[in-house]
Amino acid sequence: MLGYILKRLLLAIPTLLAVLTIVFVLARVLPGDPAQTILGDQASQEALENMRHRLGVDKPIGAQYVDFLLNAVRGEWGNSLVTGKPVVEEVRNVLPYTIDLTVTSIVLGAVIGVPLGVWSALRRNSWVDYLARIGSLLGLSFPAFVSAILLLLAFAIQLRWFPVISAGRLDDPLDRLRSLALPAVNLGIIMAAYVTRVTRSSMLEVLGEDYIRTARAKGVPTRAVIWRHAFRNGLIPVVTVVGLYLGILIGNSVLTEIVFNRPGLGKLIVSALNQRDYTVLQGMMVVYAFAIVLVNLLTDLTYGFIDPRVKRQ
Amino acid sequence: MSTLALRHGSSYALQQLARAFNANATSWIGLVTFLAIVALALLAPLISPYDPLDQDILVRLEGPSAAHWFGTDSYGRDILSRLLWGARLSLVISTVSILTAMLIGGIIGILAGYIGGRFDMIVMQAMDVLLSFPSLIMGLMVVAMLGASMGNLMIAIALTAIAPFARIARAPTILVKERDYIEACRALGYSDLRIMAVHILPNIIAEILVMGSLWLATAIRIEASLSFIGLGVRPPTATWGGMIREGFENILDSASLSVFPSLAILLVVFSLNMLGDGLRDAIDPKLRGGE
Amino acid sequence: MTADAPIIAIENLVTEFRTGGGWHPAVRDVSFAVQRNETLAIVGESGCGKSVTALSIMGLVPPANGRVASGHIRFAGRDLVGLDEEEMRKLRGDRISMIFQEPMTSLNPVLTVGFQIAEALHYHRDMGRREADASALELFDQVKIPSARQRFADYPHQFSGGMRQRVMIAMALACRPELLLADEPTTALDVTIQAQVLSLLAELKAAYGMAMIFITHNLGVVASIADRVAVMYAGEIVETAPVNELFARPTHPYTELLLRSIPRVDRDTVGLSAIAGQVPSIGAMPSGCRFAPRCPLREEICTRRDPLLVKLSDPGDHQVRCWLRAPSSEAGHG
Repeated sequence: MLGYILKRLLLAIPTLLAVLTIVFVLARVLPGDPAQTILGDQASQEALENMRHRLGVDKPIGAQYVDFLLNAVRGEWGNSLVTGKPVVEEVRNVLPYTIDLTVTSIVLGAVIGVPLGVWSALRRNSWVDYLARIGSLLGLSFPAFVSAILLLLAFAIQLRWFPVISAGRLDDPLDRLRSLALPAVNLGIIMAAYVTRVTRSSMLEVLGEDYIRTARAKGVPTRAVIWRHAFRNGLIPVVTVVGLYLGILIGNSVLTEIVFNRPGLGKLIVSALNQRDYTVLQGMMVVYAFAIVLVNLLTDLTYGFIDPRVKRQ
Repeated sequence: MSTLALRHGSSYALQQLARAFNANATSWIGLVTFLAIVALALLAPLISPYDPLDQDILVRLEGPSAAHWFGTDSYGRDILSRLLWGARLSLVISTVSILTAMLIGGIIGILAGYIGGRFDMIVMQAMDVLLSFPSLIMGLMVVAMLGASMGNLMIAIALTAIAPFARIARAPTILVKERDYIEACRALGYSDLRIMAVHILPNIIAEILVMGSLWLATAIRIEASLSFIGLGVRPPTATWGGMIREGFENILDSASLSVFPSLAILLVVFSLNMLGDGLRDAIDPKLRGGE
Repeated sequence: MTADAPIIAIENLVTEFRTGGGWHPAVRDVSFAVQRNETLAIVGESGCGKSVTALSIMGLVPPANGRVASGHIRFAGRDLVGLDEEEMRKLRGDRISMIFQEPMTSLNPVLTVGFQIAEALHYHRDMGRREADASALELFDQVKIPSARQRFADYPHQFSGGMRQRVMIAMALACRPELLLADEPTTALDVTIQAQVLSLLAELKAAYGMAMIFITHNLGVVASIADRVAVMYAGEIVETAPVNELFARPTHPYTELLLRSIPRVDRDTVGLSAIAGQVPSIGAMPSGCRFAPRCPLREEICTRRDPLLVKLSDPGDHQVRCWLRAPSSEAGHG
């Protein structure tokens, strides 16, 4: 197992490199002149020169690439053009909010989605199954900001159960939880929709496998056939989808944070966008790049725990 | 996924589709709903009761009424008219970007599968990395860097959807390549392009339609999300995401401003998901074959 | 062979599947009995109903689209048809076991082989973990898996096909069943491994005094393992006889053709005669003798009336279902 973990860690390095390269291409190559983008059309030639120098984009592209990679890995992401504070600090300040939100949503999604998916598969073509299928299809049709707005309208504005602005204080557990509830439910329900669907189809497939028949032929009671023999195998595709969904979740958290007015990476990136804060934007992309690689790594490691075949490859 | 059987002839693809529709009411409902929305969008210039940009300060933020079925926004513009026109924009952007992604992804996948070797390996690795980028984040990055415009929006969305289509096209290409009759076709003087078109397309057309409808739904979602964030087509042009943004900013004054465009997006995305999902259920041999 | 009551007696079994809206028999009016310490081979092409017969005995016919419609399956005097699921479960893996065709897919990939063998002991013998593991380890030795102790905690993907089938056998034999159903246990294996697994099965059967129902499409395998043979075609038994008798005097045209299609090293492959045509699908059975459409000897009566399974006069334990080769007494009166 240790060998497997090490190998996965090593394999994450080229992935990180690839993802960072994509970010570099997006940040430096595509937009033409970032200085122009930041300063606008009326900027003087001198101001543009200064800005280019400050951003380090006056160097040859190869040197820029190396600088970019080194700085990205070292956590030297420069200072915000607007606040002057280091980008790392800006990120660190809001990270707990985003982590709170994503982790809670994942847990919520799994806790709702997995049992519902299994139930739906076991009762195939019953009304439970139809409801679960239609419900989950509807759930994943919601753009995250649409569901967020509907939740906000219903529970914060109409019923007034939760705050309209979900910026709970981190040192007050109750406040933190209250302001987490609606955003987390919003993302959790969408996640549950994905998880329900993949759990259902994966369980259906597994329940038709030969080894399930073998288990029954051995006289294993139904409950153990389902949970010990089928469920663990059925979980493998679920992990893939949860991994993929983590990516979607990062995207959806941006929208959720905007609607619920909640601090976090999403709010940070949007305000950077509005203020053309180029260094913060670039730093955020690096953050997302790391997040993507981390998610892939976690997914791979989880496979290792569930599926003995993976470790050997 | 590994047991992919090769089929030939376009009639096979049609039969498969016909069977898929017959087997599954969901795909029918999805298709009919989606086509109805497309029809409404096409007819927008004829049927929308007002000009989507006409402001009327006297009727700001009104709820549904006989004159304005879905109410008005903060400039007094008719929400129904803006919804109809917004549908055009939304459908054009998503359709163009998904067709582009299909074409580029398809070519990449076929080339990767056909050439094979290191080229295949590197290209597919790149596709994997691309795939691991959440589409919304990718769209956000691209539009943030390139600037918000309709063209950039399409580029951003197309970029996120290339990888899945490349994957779909690659698998049957490899299978076809290994068959003896490909040599025979070559000996007969058929070009590689023709061979690929004749032998690969029938094998992937069904899957492409499934993926196409599901990704069309995703594209509509991304377009709306980016417009909502403020990275879409600039106001005052009516976009669904932009309308919801306005509704959100005035949420304490008028719920209908955000609710109607929300329902519109939900309806179109849901109908496409129903279509794609129903088709997949019917086509996927793993789900169909069981008892 | 012992003369006491058979351990299993199947009477007029009909098992149906639902296809295209209607129920169609996949097994029709099948009867046979197997004594303790006896091996009955059921032979036929795929789709002839031999596996369905075994699944019917196990009570594992998929309930969503299959059912045992009528007949009796008497195991040790008790009728298994209509037995409730919990009672059936207690029998499965304990007194009746089954080995499946595909050793590659029949073992659970995420559980250790040791666990999968010990599991039956846990449920049927109420053994604790340690005790069950110890017994399972003994079984490893009995099925001749080398370095059993090291391999006990391995996963199925770490075993070769032949070794996996040994694991399957150990699993099936864990509770020393009285009846073993082996459904094409060697079909997926290499020829040399096939022979090893067959002799292992024969050996263990003798050691345990089990009755065995050995299902195969390969008559060549039958000669080395079976005491008696039942040939099935399209859901029916068309011929049954002691193994030597069947090979000496194949009577049904289908049996004859099957025998001729066994590939033999001493003969040129040109002589290998495949049987023309296909097994009819269960939704579209021909009237009269079901083999008639493919039968080279077909006559008018064959397509008109169902032939019965009748005893040949000499010896009495040879039965054939054919109008031409074994005219039944009723035929004259019809």
